[in-house]
Order: sequence, then structure tokens, then C-alpha cells
Amino acid sequence: MSQRTERRGIHVDQSDLLCKKGCGYYGNAAWQGLCSKCWREEYQRVRQKQIQDDWALCARLNFEEKKTNEKTRKVTTVKKFFSPSSRTATKKEPPEGKSASPSISRRASFDSDQVSKDFVEFLKNLHKPGREIHKQCRAFLVSMSSKKDLGADELSECVQDFYQSLADRLMSHFKGSSESVDQVMDQVEKYIMTRLYKSVFCPETTDDEKKDLATQDRIRALHWVTVQMLCVSVEEETAEVSENVVRAITDIIEMDSKRVPRDKLACITRCSKHIFSAIRITKNEPASADDFLPALIYIVLKANPPRLQSNIQYITRFCNPSRLMTGEDGYYFTNLCCAVAFIEKLDAQSLNLSQDEFERHMSGHASPRRSGSEDGRPDGGPRVSGAAGPVLARLSHNLQMLSGLSARQEAVTAAALGLRADLLTWTDGVRRDVRHILDRYPLDTKASKASAIDANSVDGENLPAPIKPRMFVG
Amino acid sequence: MATAGAAGTSGRTYSFKVVLLGEGCVGKTSLVLRYCENKFNDKHITTLQASFLTKKLNITGKRVNLAIWDTAGQERFHALGPIYYRDSNGAILVYDITDEDSFQKVKNWVKELRKMLGNEICLCIVGNKIDLDKDRHVSVEDAESYAESVGAKHYHTSAKLNKGIEELFLDLCKRMMETAQAEERAKGNGASQSASNRRGVQIVDDEPQATPAGGCCSSG
Repeated sequence: MSQRTERRGIHVDQSDLLCKKGCGYYGNAAWQGLCSKCWREEYQRVRQKQIQDDWALCARLNFEEKKTNEKTRKVTTVKKFFSPSSRTATKKEPPEGKSASPSISRRASFDSDQVSKDFVEFLKNLHKPGREIHKQCRAFLVSMSSKKDLGADELSECVQDFYQSLADRLMSHFKGSSESVDQVMDQVEKYIMTRLYKSVFCPETTDDEKKDLATQDRIRALHWVTVQMLCVSVEEETAEVSENVVRAITDIIEMDSKRVPRDKLACITRCSKHIFSAIRITKNEPASADDFLPALIYIVLKANPPRLQSNIQYITRFCNPSRLMTGEDGYYFTNLCCAVAFIEKLDAQSLNLSQDEFERHMSGHASPRRSGSEDGRPDGGPRVSGAAGPVLARLSHNLQMLSGLSARQEAVTAAALGLRADLLTWTDGVRRDVRHILDRYPLDTKASKASAIDANSVDGENLPAPIKPRMFVG
Repeated sequence: MATAGAAGTSGRTYSFKVVLLGEGCVGKTSLVLRYCENKFNDKHITTLQASFLTKKLNITGKRVNLAIWDTAGQERFHALGPIYYRDSNGAILVYDITDEDSFQKVKNWVKELRKMLGNEICLCIVGNKIDLDKDRHVSVEDAESYAESVGAKHYHTSAKLNKGIEELFLDLCKRMMETAQAEERAKGNGASQSASNRRGVQIVDDEPQATPAGGCCSSG
């Protein structure tokens, strides 16, 4: 079984294409046929301004930290592997001040420790071959740590070769039981990729990060795209449907937080399942690709998943190909790639809009709310608010409640003021009345005569004379 | 197992990826649902989705796993085709016999597939909805002679009446097995190393009109 053919689906083998600029290096389809260096120059020239704007943002999004980590790990001696072609000649800027927060790195190492513990635990069941596998994985990780300076494609080659050779050996060990092989390979992938994640996810040698930002901007600029424009058969007014939509969005965003390619794939699959449920509820029939792809595009537009391009590249480079190429996960992943490709190339035609309308939307002159009526759709009126999504509906509901609340509060304040005025007039009234009465019945105070304690005792006279003390002298 | 069609030793299972291509509304979904669930426009279809379906077969004692990938048929998604069909072992190109346009779309797909994937992929051209034969707009002769001219097999099916569908998939599987076996043999001889790994991904923006290799298609 030739290794090259085995992996042909994963690796875009276009090494026979030279850079379009004719600089002698090889080009890459991901860089529009340019070599990395020319592409970088070309790209930077165009996007320089925008990237700088975004830089402030990424600083906040922890990009900074990742970069410092990678920069400090440079190894000076580099052995070139396989093709010397797409090795990128990056200009290394002096490493910035080290600011890695200790808490994050500690958490990361805890993660990997947990993973290696699980891995060892899993391999124990395999006895002797398990130890062998563990040894090979460790050796591979060590060899990878000395290759940190290689381009992403070479790293991917290394990992894929490792998967391939290990899978072949396992295949002969398990005598062709592909299920057991897959099981072991899943664990191997989990172990290796958790360890390698930091150094190979969105590596500095590629333009993944810039592509991330470009895609993010693109999606942000397309915020006005509605369900109707994409012809998505999802009725978001239904609570159950909108719940599924929200879940799908959560899942696709969650993808970024996973480290293992297969876990990332699982997020995509979960997202897709929720989309299917939403379509199923809306249309009451199984979703075909005709329904699914537009819905997925809509979800991606709504979610604007973080580091989307990096994640796609990471999965493409480092996922075990047997997962990626066959099976359901692969299908959903392919659809996600399609959705991203569509969003990148999206134009007026693909939304059934006129060029003029598209421009107006892109420049922000037309709002999604108005667009519905402009299209002259028969169902334009009441649906448009629904098209803007359940979030807006909830927002307007909340606003209504808030304005109701403030009206009531005003009423309360007015009533309180009234009460205070009443109280004031009441005290005044009472005072006036009292004064009035006092005036009418002036109080004639009779001077009180000073009297002895028993002055008022009338019967004083009737009492017997007080006993006089007598002296008895005996 | 990336191209699991090349599954080697006799005990192994063949895994094939088959893409469904064709305009919207030609009945791609009905076709696969009929094949995998044996249901048509049924309210009781339990499957959540009909865009990715699998089927396990046993053909002349060999196990075959078939993964059927539905593709979005709308015109605006045409350019995404290559992402879907890369590494597929077979393609089923569906048209509606009552719709001349959908047959034209099939022709475009054939040209594109042959250009991108060469002869490694087994093509099936399928005229669906033969229950509506009275409204037929694509003549049987035209379709069949066209299919022959591009090295594809032609089938007539009706998802509604469950006609021709089993045969279509069975035939396709057999052909894909032959291709896979031939590929293995060639590999065994070390002959075709370069021929098979030229499958890159390229997104075509325009209709593949500019293909100079279209000479064979003129007969249709």
C-alpha cells in the first residue's frame, strides 16, 4: 500500500506548480498559487491597514501569548524534510516580552498529564503492543520537538507519516480488524495532538492567523444576510427550531476550544445534527444537502466562529485521514469547508440580489430589516422581523418590557410626588385647623396655687388630731 | 484508508465514496432514500437527514461499505463541487427526464469530473422520474449515446416506483471494485505511481466551458 496514494485526499499535492510570480519557489493553492514569501508580501500589501486595526483586538484575544510561546521555542538548526519546497522563510522579529501567564501554562500541562495518564491506562489493556505503541509515540514526540522550525506542511507530513506507519503496523497486529485499529489510532491521535497542539495550531510559519482575521472581518461585513437571501428552510419563529439554531451556533463556536482534531470534528458533527433537527422540524422531511448547506452557511455567518481558518487547517493537517475522508464526520467537515469557501466568494448573484443592492448592504446603507420589503417578497412584512433572528425578537421584547417598566416607574414616582404634596397640605391643614381652634377657644391658663401635699384632702379636718409624742419618764 | 477503495488483502472491506450530483429537484434525495430506507415521500421516514447515507453490501463474498454524499444542487453552489467530489470512487449524475436543462447540467458535471479526476472515477448517468415518461424531454437514444461517448453507464430509474435503483447501485459497486482491484494490481507492478496522486483541490469559478478536452462530448 503506497503511502502517497493513501493520503492523497488530505495532502494537496501540487508541488509541481511553481510560484506564479516566478521566483523559483513552489507555489501553493492555499496561497493562490504563490509561494509563501510572495503570498505574504502580496497579502500584506493589501491588508496591512486592516490587519493593524485588528491587531489591537487579537491582543485581547490572547493571540499575543501564543505567539511569544512559539517564538521562544525556535530551534536554530533545521533539517529539511521531504520537499524543500514550501519551507517558509519567515522574517523573525525579535521576541516580544515574555508574558505567558503561569496559570494558563499550568492548566495546559495538567491537561496533557491527564491525557497521558488516560493514554497509558488505555494501552495497558493491550499488554505488550501497548508498551510498544507508547514507546513509539514518545519517540515521535521527541523527534517532533526538534522540528518546531519546520513549515506547517512538513509538520503535517511527519504526523501523517507517523499515523500511516503506525496504522499499518497495527493492521498487521490486529490481523485486519479495522475497528480495533481505529480505536487505538483515536487514542494515539488524542495523545499526540494534545501534546503538539500548542506548537502546531496556527503556527507562525503560515498565514493562518491572517486568514482567520480576514474571514472574521468578512463574516462581520455580511451580518445583514438573512434566511431568505440564502433560501434556508429554517423557521426561526418556532421556539424548538430557534433552540436548535442556538445550539448549532454554540457547537460550532465550541470547536475552537478543543485540542484534538477528532474532538473538533465532533463539534462540527454535533452542530450539523442540530441543523438537521431544525430543518426536520421546519420541513417535516429528512434534510437533503440542498437544505443543509445553506443552513450551515447561515449558522457560520451567525456564529462567526473564532479562528475558523486555523481550525480547518489544523484538522486538515493533523486529523487521522481515515476519520476525515470516510464517514459522517468527514462529510460534515467537507460541508463546513464548502460553507467557508462560499462565504469567501459570496457576491450579489449568490444571494439573488442586484449588484447595487449588495453594495448598499455591504456599505451599511441598507439594513436587513428594510431589505425584506425591498425585495418585494410577498411574505415580506411580518416575517422580516423574524428573519433578523430570535435574538432581535427577544431584544425587542425586552425593550418593550423595559419601556413598560419605566412607564410604571414614572407612574410610581408621580404618585409618590402626589403623596408628598398631599402629606404637606395635610400637615399644613392640620396646623391651620389647630391654630384656628386655638384662636377660637383661647386657652385661659389659671395660675396654679402652690399647695401642700394634702391640700386637697377634704377630710383633713375630720381626722383625729395628730398624735403628739409624749415622754414617759419612768 | 483515505482511498479505501484500494483496500488490499482479500479479507478487508471495501469502502467507497460516491457523490450524488445534479440540479436541485431532479430527485437525488428521493433516490438515496429509496435505496437506503426503501421509502418514498414517506411521512414515517425516521432518518434525520438524507445528505449522508451509508449502506453495507456483500458482493460476491466481499464486504462493501458505501458512503453516499449528497451535494447541494443549486447553481450558486456549483463552484464548490471539487471540494465534495475529491477522492470519490464513483459519481452518480442525476437528471430529470422531463427537464432538458438538468441533462445539460449533467453534461457539464461530466466534463468537469473527467478533467479533475480523470478516468479513475466511475460515472453513472441516471435519468430519474421515468414514471413521468409521457412528459419526457430527453430522448433515450441521446442520453445513452452521450453516456457511452464519455465512458459512463446510463440508467433509467424511478424513485417513486422503485425501478432501476438497486441495479444502479449494485452495478456501480461492481465497477468500483474492478477499478480498485485494477489499481491494486497496477500498484503491485509499481507501474502507476504518478497517475494516481494528481488529485489536487482546485475550485473552479466558472462553468467549465474553457475545457479543450470536451471533444468527446460533442456527440450528445
